[in-house]
Amino acid sequence: MQVRSAATEAPHSPASYKYVPGGPIYRGTVNDPTPFPPPSKTHGSYHWAFERLLSGALVPITGAAFVTTGSQYPLIDALLGVSLVIHSHIGFESIRIDYIHSRKFPILGPITKWAIRGLSAGAVYGVFMFNTNDIGLCELIARVWHA
Amino acid sequence: MSLARSSLFNVARAARSMGVHAPVLVRGFASTAVRAQAEPVQKQPMIKEFKIYRWDPENPSQKPTLQSYKIDLNQCGPMVLDALIKVKNEVDSTLTFRRSCREGICGSCAMNIDGVNTLACLCRIDRNTSKDSKIYPLPHMYIVKDLVPDLTQFYKQYKSIEPWLKNDNPPEKGEYLQSPEDRKKLDGMYECILCACCSTSCPSYWWNQDEYLGPATLMQAYRWMADSRDSYKKQRGEKLQNDLSMYRCHTIFNCARTCPKGLNPAMAIAKIKLELATE
Repeated sequence: MQVRSAATEAPHSPASYKYVPGGPIYRGTVNDPTPFPPPSKTHGSYHWAFERLLSGALVPITGAAFVTTGSQYPLIDALLGVSLVIHSHIGFESIRIDYIHSRKFPILGPITKWAIRGLSAGAVYGVFMFNTNDIGLCELIARVWHA
Repeated sequence: MSLARSSLFNVARAARSMGVHAPVLVRGFASTAVRAQAEPVQKQPMIKEFKIYRWDPENPSQKPTLQSYKIDLNQCGPMVLDALIKVKNEVDSTLTFRRSCREGICGSCAMNIDGVNTLACLCRIDRNTSKDSKIYPLPHMYIVKDLVPDLTQFYKQYKSIEPWLKNDNPPEKGEYLQSPEDRKKLDGMYECILCACCSTSCPSYWWNQDEYLGPATLMQAYRWMADSRDSYKKQRGEKLQNDLSMYRCHTIFNCARTCPKGLNPAMAIAKIKLELATE
């Protein structure tokens, strides 16, 4: 008997594989191996390495911001602001991929994706404005700390 | 007693005098008549309640339930699998579960016992009879019946990493040779019996089972990447270069904690990540 297998078509094209919530998730016959998405180092090892290096770099940056006063070294202020926001953006994006991936939530997925991007961009802009027009991030934390 | 012994002597003497070469019957002390009459120690019955997940595909509209079985632990083997077999043999033959080797080699009897994924054959029954024991199938899997999960996707994923030796330049003659140091790298990975305890304990695998490979499959992927005889390390790593197949691992360590064989899939995944990042 010829069983028309979804896996013999392009495995990752949306036409051959529709995610059914609560339904079986097999692609192809039971004997076909699961297919892999097309390889992309940007989404794979580069992303992971960047994430880890950034997390590691945040330790000395935070330390430096702690010992210096922010208003004297605006560069550290800027660096801390940007890297903190990118770090949290990667974290939120990871949560989104875990729970509301676009393949399962074709409407909500892209909406949250762009919402996170928008919020992160807004946060970077906000930190920039705060650093240039007001006392700056490090100074703020120092004052809150002493308050 | 003297009567029994003298009659025994008489039989032996008679056999000897008759010239027949009958084997002399010497009874061990333990099996003498008096010993046989000793009262067996009456153990108090030790009733333990087992609550077992039941779902029958014949009645799909009926919701899964926990069915209670009471077992006398003094009439039962020490492991949870012994209790399950006792239930099936003596109480309810419709209870369905997978089992084969009963010694932690085959990985058939993987199930969730008192909240922990483990092999029923390696899990001792908690002797505390005041608390019941809850037995569920492996979490977040499609259920075939009762304690039998559908592992099709798990096996399809295992197949996708091509778990066999791939080398285009086999040795001229004889076999692939490997130094003891290279062989050591496979320790802690080749012992995996694919019981799926680790994968089904992983939250990432619960949410993204269709794309994320899960700890068991990823550790086997690394088992072949780490093998010095395999020449497809780069291609094997290349397949995992996307955000779903491997990088959904967030180092939660449920896999290492639950593994009934004491292996550490999280370590293997961390090694793949490091090797891909530094290659």
